[in-house]
Amino acid sequence: MTTVRTPATREELAELLRAASAEGAPVAVAGAGTASRRGPATDPPERVISTLGLDRIIGHEPADLTVTVEAGCRLQTLQAALAERGQTWMQAPARPGATVGGVLSTAASGRRRLRYGPVRDSLLQVVLATGDGRIVSAGGKTVKGVAGYDIPRLVVGALGTLGVILEVTLKLWPVPPSSGWFTATGDVAALAELGEALRRDLHLPAAVLLEPGRLSAEIIGPPADLVPPPGMAAADAPPEPAWGAEVLVGVPPTRLPALAAALTALGRPFQAELGVGTCRVGVETAEDVAAVRAAALEQEGHAVVADAPPELRADPWGPPPPGVRLMERLRDAFDPAHVLNPGLFIGDAVRSAA
Amino acid sequence: MATIPMTAVDRFRAILGDDRVLQAPTERLLYGKDGSIAEGDCGLVLLCETTGEVSACLRAAAEEGLPVVPRGSGTGLAGGAIPLDGSVVLSVARMRRVISVDPLTPCAWVEPGVLNLDISTAVAHLGLHYAPDPSSQAACSIGGNVATNAGGPHCLASGVTSQHILGVEIVLPDGEVLTIGGPAPDPAGYDLRGFVVGGEGTLGVVTKVCVKLTRDPPAVTTLLVDFPSVASAGAAVRDIIAEGVIPAAMEMMDRVMVRAVEQFVNAGLPVDSAALLLVEVDGTPAQVAEQAAAVERICRDSGAASVRTARDEAERALFWKARKNAFGAVARIAPNYYLHDCVVPRTRLVEVLESIAAIGEKHGLVIMNVFHAGDGNLHPLIAFDRRDPVQVDRVLAAGTDIIEACVAVGGTLSGEHGIGLEKRDYMPLQFAPLDLDAQCRAREAFDPDGRLNPRKVLPAGAKCGELVLDAGSLPEGTWL
Repeated sequence: MTTVRTPATREELAELLRAASAEGAPVAVAGAGTASRRGPATDPPERVISTLGLDRIIGHEPADLTVTVEAGCRLQTLQAALAERGQTWMQAPARPGATVGGVLSTAASGRRRLRYGPVRDSLLQVVLATGDGRIVSAGGKTVKGVAGYDIPRLVVGALGTLGVILEVTLKLWPVPPSSGWFTATGDVAALAELGEALRRDLHLPAAVLLEPGRLSAEIIGPPADLVPPPGMAAADAPPEPAWGAEVLVGVPPTRLPALAAALTALGRPFQAELGVGTCRVGVETAEDVAAVRAAALEQEGHAVVADAPPELRADPWGPPPPGVRLMERLRDAFDPAHVLNPGLFIGDAVRSAA
Repeated sequence: MATIPMTAVDRFRAILGDDRVLQAPTERLLYGKDGSIAEGDCGLVLLCETTGEVSACLRAAAEEGLPVVPRGSGTGLAGGAIPLDGSVVLSVARMRRVISVDPLTPCAWVEPGVLNLDISTAVAHLGLHYAPDPSSQAACSIGGNVATNAGGPHCLASGVTSQHILGVEIVLPDGEVLTIGGPAPDPAGYDLRGFVVGGEGTLGVVTKVCVKLTRDPPAVTTLLVDFPSVASAGAAVRDIIAEGVIPAAMEMMDRVMVRAVEQFVNAGLPVDSAALLLVEVDGTPAQVAEQAAAVERICRDSGAASVRTARDEAERALFWKARKNAFGAVARIAPNYYLHDCVVPRTRLVEVLESIAAIGEKHGLVIMNVFHAGDGNLHPLIAFDRRDPVQVDRVLAAGTDIIEACVAVGGTLSGEHGIGLEKRDYMPLQFAPLDLDAQCRAREAFDPDGRLNPRKVLPAGAKCGELVLDAGSLPEGTWL
């Protein structure tokens, strides 16, 4: 039977982990649950630790462009508070109900990544509870800092398998006073070419998104810069994809047009971030997952099942990346009893496949 | 010092040939130093030219149980490349090929010995550059930049090295070669690439680097602003950021530094200025016009005496020459300098600069400031003469005072130079024992035997429990 504990303090949370490690009892770490359909389709642990009890905004320093916030704070709550002072967590995705900790644990970057970089680049300091209940702080609160090993970067995207994020300090950006979306329609090959031309000719577009039949670009700048690029017209922002199941592909940016052509041939819906190399792909069956992964590998990339029902998650990661041995040792360093989110650690999948 | 056994020397000679294994006293003396004020003890120098050689040398060193210190150009300011107790120095300075350039991504694979500026030079004809620009960019190597997670004036808007490295090829201490990351983003598993950047040569030897390239901005404006006080310049910095303007770079120099630099570079700097601000904005012409106007207005509101805009590329280059030659100019004041690299919250800049001035007075030392004001990254520079032992003691004491003053307001030990040897023993000021223990464990995941660049970054006793693998007190004579 599942028991969910929602600690109100970080010490209480760490104590739960200490106990779990001592007993060797696996624990699922949960935020808002908006990105929980990932990893292999195994039975979830009975013990669940929720971060939703740790949801305070501890300090927003507008003059420093930083905020310190607890992991369970909802993205919409944080962004609303920052917006009051004209600032934003620029690299965050548009997933309002998600928690700050969930966004970081899944390395979910927003659509302005082409200009502002991945969400990983926004994390300055992290406080986490390791699998055996140590409360560890790494990084620093200042906007720049290289003291000590970059544990913050390691934690981003680790899916909670190195520790439970308790609190973070994030680097912020001013909300741009003006920005605009522009769009063009046509066949994918022509649109991909237009998109590459935009990346070359426009100075730092915020996003250039390629979908079947549509190219969309966001420009951030003063009103004088917000004119439609050749072949495009002003438009609303394209909607966020809402597929029943999604695979996240990463390929070298130069390979995205070829990937888009392959996905079009497969009849899969997709949204590709030109210049970044990421592509969200809608899938319906296990065969779709395999076909999309084959297309990604063909373009020297990878495909991860990011959000899907269990029947599509027989092999969520695909071929293992280099360095799994190092990842296993890092896992041992932070979660010696391997109690945190078993299954979500890629090394476990590699071991069970072997 | 420990001597390297002849059997080991012979193994290295078999890998590299006699002429790339250096043992002469002069050579060992040279490789015992870097850009810091520390002096080490180098037992043997290996000049590697390929990944295969690095791997074979590391495997041989592992089998012989020898500690190895990786080295790039040796310009580091924190002592990260200093060998201790007769360690082997493994130099990658001869690995200087630009392997491939992809103008569309845009990115490039380069070898670690390629100089930072040479990357930008190699891709300039494509309208591209490599963004991080340390003052030493004409001499420092990309491998060293990756090791220290180096910065530079233009990291204010674009971020430090780790944001510009897409992938690396790394040789682990046991000789295993791994390629982690690359142009395809977000591979499954942990971000090993991100962790390796800033590893200060303690995690492995980086043998190839995939650098992200940046398109040259269509327009640039550079302003030189003269302030009657450090406080008014600090207020301008604060207000520019608070207004939502993030310049490409925003640098400050105080009066002592301005005078030294002007004598050295003859850039026509206002030598009576109490503080000089160098602000660069880039982007589209419309963006640049808007931001430059905002910067000028805010500076005047903060009491700027004059605002000078670079008329052309030549004048812009002159302004930057003044800034980037600041450390060289110190030779006019004193033969040596001890440089710090703390970052403080931007809101505390002025108060910390006042504390630093007071620390200089207390110890009877000249402390000059030239720094990345936009992100609060201070570079207080203590000018001194190392031949005067009394002065040397005061320099070290003043350094400690400066670091303590910065950490006390929520600052960090290093913004871009790294911890190396110099800041190692200050780590407990910023990190609790459990924090240092976690860092030590993460390092051991890469280097279980603690043989790679030993005794750097983490202080003695960083490891909770009895085992101290890689830390310890420094040998006599390491300092100065």
